[in-house]
Amino acid sequence: MDIPFLTIAELDRAYARRELSPVEVTRALLDRIAVHDGRFDSFIRVTEDVAIADAKAAEAELMAGRRRGPLHGIPYGLKDIVETAGIPTTGHSKLRQHHVPERDAEVVRRLKAGGGILMGKLATWEFANGGPSFDLPWPPARNPWDRDRLPGGSSSGPGAALAAGFVAAAIGTDTGGSIRGPAAVCGIAGLKPTYGRVSRRGVFPNTFTMDHIGPMTRSAEDIALMLQVIAGFDPADPGSEDCPVPDYAAALDEGVAGLRLGLVEGWHDAPGAHPELAPAIAEAVSVLERLGARVETVKLSSLRDYTDCKTTISIAELYTIHERDLRTRPQDFGRVLRNRILPGALIRAEDYQAALRWRTALAREQMAALKTVDAFITAGARNIAEPAEPDRPDRLVTAPSITMPFSVSGVPAIAIPCGFSAAERMPLSLQIAAAPFRETTALRIAHAYQLATDWHRRHPVLE
Amino acid sequence: MRDDLSHLPPATPDEIRAMLRRAGIELAEEHVLQFIATWPQFEAMVRRIPRGFGYADEPAHTFRPTRLAGEAE
Repeated sequence: MDIPFLTIAELDRAYARRELSPVEVTRALLDRIAVHDGRFDSFIRVTEDVAIADAKAAEAELMAGRRRGPLHGIPYGLKDIVETAGIPTTGHSKLRQHHVPERDAEVVRRLKAGGGILMGKLATWEFANGGPSFDLPWPPARNPWDRDRLPGGSSSGPGAALAAGFVAAAIGTDTGGSIRGPAAVCGIAGLKPTYGRVSRRGVFPNTFTMDHIGPMTRSAEDIALMLQVIAGFDPADPGSEDCPVPDYAAALDEGVAGLRLGLVEGWHDAPGAHPELAPAIAEAVSVLERLGARVETVKLSSLRDYTDCKTTISIAELYTIHERDLRTRPQDFGRVLRNRILPGALIRAEDYQAALRWRTALAREQMAALKTVDAFITAGARNIAEPAEPDRPDRLVTAPSITMPFSVSGVPAIAIPCGFSAAERMPLSLQIAAAPFRETTALRIAHAYQLATDWHRRHPVLE
Repeated sequence: MRDDLSHLPPATPDEIRAMLRRAGIELAEEHVLQFIATWPQFEAMVRRIPRGFGYADEPAHTFRPTRLAGEAE
């Protein structure tokens, strides 16, 4: 068995059959990290002692027949803005280089209760926003498919660690696409759940109104298994929604026959997209149609509109979060983040309010369209992974984002691989978004697609 | 016709410096120059935001006292 690239579901079955043990898997992955991560910098901190202790505990319980659930004995990593009691949580920033939280984030508490094995803290763009940056205490993560390219951001470490076969699962965060973007360019699966589905408590904020915590894995099936463990109401998170948590895995096999899917016009095929993206999405649509889905085109506002709305809101909130540090120690921020925070100081209250009112209008537009289709289909990223060049211009507001529309509306959206570019051999990605709290719909579509294709089974060969 | 502010002229470097001062931001000259190069993109973005919503159109996140009441329980 190729341990580094087994899925959560496969590991779970191997544990049940006693073909593998959590300690054996954990040691194999720690060895792999030690050999290879020096070239990819996906980890800020490998928690080897914690991982071995977690693995021994999981192994003892599983051997005794006490299985806690699908994540029991599964090695995972955490983006380093997710707080861990007693383990430094840096935000990949000089400002929090020595910060050691006293409490676990709620999502960590749930992962521990589920019997997961913490392998370490993963790289991010500075505070999940400023990147890629080359002037921070740790280097930016690199893409295992091509070390001269980046793994996207801001959940750069989770994307790289999964693609490299260092972990079976990871927790990322997504404000404007920071789970789906890295998933797209690293050839893995990433879900931004509905806003309020997974608690944000104990995760360093990027904004107040658009942050989402979500799973990153190798397959849609694994996303369902991980979401089951981390989803649920948290009264201590003001944005958390008290909605029932369905059985995500049970809905996976319902297939797509009869579903109506809306391919969004003018997003994945707009100028500036990779030339091989539109054909790859067309082929994915053909696969879904062969499986029985009905695909029609839908028209939504432009990516430019969604990007302007989202970025104005997030920059204003970002400044509020970092104002004190920016006034007192601006030199300690990386250049990219400092220049993203500062505009928030100049955004007027009326600009922020106009953007928030626009958000309502844009979200209503999507909700109306979701009364005629069961899900939206588009790309997970408009381009392949970008080169790792320190002096590239900041693309935050210059390039429209294909992930921000679903950040604005708060609906669940998953990115999964749907091909590779011919010249660069880099992953291309499909994005599927559904109505609020209909993660089951997005997951069953993604799972049906992955049962019919093998893009998610491919992985880079590390030299 | 869209009701936004994109017709306004871009801020000059002196105006950007003045806005930073009014916001209470003090930066090294190197960082000021970096920001002067960055700000026009953000300014153009903010000015593209449509205005002219109806008076009853509320922001996306309205005050929800029931949630606060739940916290107190």
